[in-house]
Amino acid sequence: MSSGPETSEARRAESGGTVFDIGYQRYTGAREGRARGRRAIFHGGVRTALALGRDGRAKALPWSFILILVGFGFVLALGAGSALRTLGPEVAAQLPSHADYYGMTSLIFILFAAVTAPELICPDRRNRVVDLYFVRPITPLDYILARWSAFLAVALAVAWVPQIVLMIGLVMGNPEPGTYLLENWTDLPRILLAGGSVAVYATTLALAVASFTTRRAYAAAFLVGLFVISSPFTIGLAQESEGALGQWIAMFNLAAIPVHVNDIVFGEVTPITIIGNAHLLPVGVRLSWFALWVIAPAAVLLYRYRRRTP
Amino acid sequence: MTDQLIVARGVRKEYGNVVALHSLDLVIRDGITGLLGENGAGKSTAIRIFLGLLPPTRGEVTVLGMDIATHAEARTRLGYMPEHDCLPPSVTAVEFLSHMAQVSGLPPSPARTRAADTLRHVGLFEERYRPIEGYSTGMKQRVKLAQALVHDPQLVLLDEPTAGLDPAGREEMLDLVRKTHREFGISIMLSSHLMGDVERTCDRLALIRGGMLIQEGAVTDFTLETERLSLEVDDRETELVAELEGRGVVVERGERGELLIEGRDASVYDDVRDALAHTGAPLRSLAPRRRALAELFARDGEDLGGDT
Repeated sequence: MSSGPETSEARRAESGGTVFDIGYQRYTGAREGRARGRRAIFHGGVRTALALGRDGRAKALPWSFILILVGFGFVLALGAGSALRTLGPEVAAQLPSHADYYGMTSLIFILFAAVTAPELICPDRRNRVVDLYFVRPITPLDYILARWSAFLAVALAVAWVPQIVLMIGLVMGNPEPGTYLLENWTDLPRILLAGGSVAVYATTLALAVASFTTRRAYAAAFLVGLFVISSPFTIGLAQESEGALGQWIAMFNLAAIPVHVNDIVFGEVTPITIIGNAHLLPVGVRLSWFALWVIAPAAVLLYRYRRRTP
Repeated sequence: MTDQLIVARGVRKEYGNVVALHSLDLVIRDGITGLLGENGAGKSTAIRIFLGLLPPTRGEVTVLGMDIATHAEARTRLGYMPEHDCLPPSVTAVEFLSHMAQVSGLPPSPARTRAADTLRHVGLFEERYRPIEGYSTGMKQRVKLAQALVHDPQLVLLDEPTAGLDPAGREEMLDLVRKTHREFGISIMLSSHLMGDVERTCDRLALIRGGMLIQEGAVTDFTLETERLSLEVDDRETELVAELEGRGVVVERGERGELLIEGRDASVYDDVRDALAHTGAPLRSLAPRRRALAELFARDGEDLGGDT
């Protein structure tokens, strides 16, 4: 009957039914090119760094570090708040605060980067997923910048959140929160700057090392060894040496390099930078030293990903 | 619009002192094209150059009318299935495909939809939420094909798509390749050292040997009719052979058990007709015999590991 299809169409329309054509079809929608590709790599990198969508075992390592670092902020906030209420502002001012936080936690933070950041690029090389990325619109530079940005975003959050927690603790613990905030608002940009320097340093160095291996464990072990060994070694040697030699030996304490920026930003000195009198080096020298330890690994990282066949 | 999807002119690739491709001139057109050659012939190098993963030492390559090295937009319409493993083990197939679709430029929502649709196309819809590490070799090959198709490319390059598969898996994969072109019009370039795969799947064929193009054309050009007839009967074969030989016709047994009869002129057809009528053997098929690719290459002194 010729009216069959029309009748069934009419019935379908009356019943409000919809026909879904499932299965593979040609795509006629939007194509957003490299920009979408970069965002996808960035988004995937953030998920990888935080082990989102992964099982509890994969989450254990990064989240342990994050909890320790944020926990530190909580403890300082609780201590400061309690001291303010019970012992008074003079005593509370003697307690570790924003300027001291990165000096106390820089090694833990760098270890967090060392064990987490390689996960963003090593498996892609080991599983050769990069071959699939690089036949798509993105370039190797897009890829590595997106991965770097992804871990930097996570590192910034991990660096800033404990300080924000500490700031909230200090504000809430003060009998006059508004006055405290007005008098100490400059801590906020200082936190952003000092935390940013720690995050940029740890991210760039960890990814540069990771770019030389396809195994996350190798990169992590190398970085952990580098920091864990360099700290006591340089501290011991710097304390035994005098003058400029001691200062420069202390500058090779890799965990202290971003803390020098923290000192300059807050205008204070932390115990980790006093060793060997490194804090007495000119500001320009200490900033240049920090810049060198960011720019050199960045150059290495970019060099490693200059081609589509890394 | 031209149907020339890849044009390679004088492409040479050197790895130190080793020359992988000498001077490759090749045009890949719409359809399914087989790139056939023994291991080490330069197939994978050619594919990696066509994809822009490797720069040629010399020569020019245009893909979809663009220089692949400088035009990233050409990559939005290209798909690639490598021979080697390239899948992240700990993520699910649907998550991986959705991610790769977005890396190809698709917005997140259509990327998720197409990931599921593409997995349905390759027969992995039910398993789409399982981590890839739990997949069999055949399933992983299908995921590799799916990621090459998820962004709806115009041209897909498949490097040894049947590598590591058992005969049933190979046939399923080749069916998928044929279906992908037939139903969706996606052009495919398939590299293989297995002549059977190429013969069964491809419209056109390019033969590479020692980094050079030996011959290119339609598969039927390579399997030209021979000066023989292929004859199959359902019964009374022995009587038929005796009758034919009695008439002076030279008869041999083919590899598949068919009878091969020398000559294709009218008198041979007359002899066959008369012999069939005389013996009463029920005819199943009678046709000029076409050469198998394997036979062609074996005659040239080449053995491509031929699975025909």
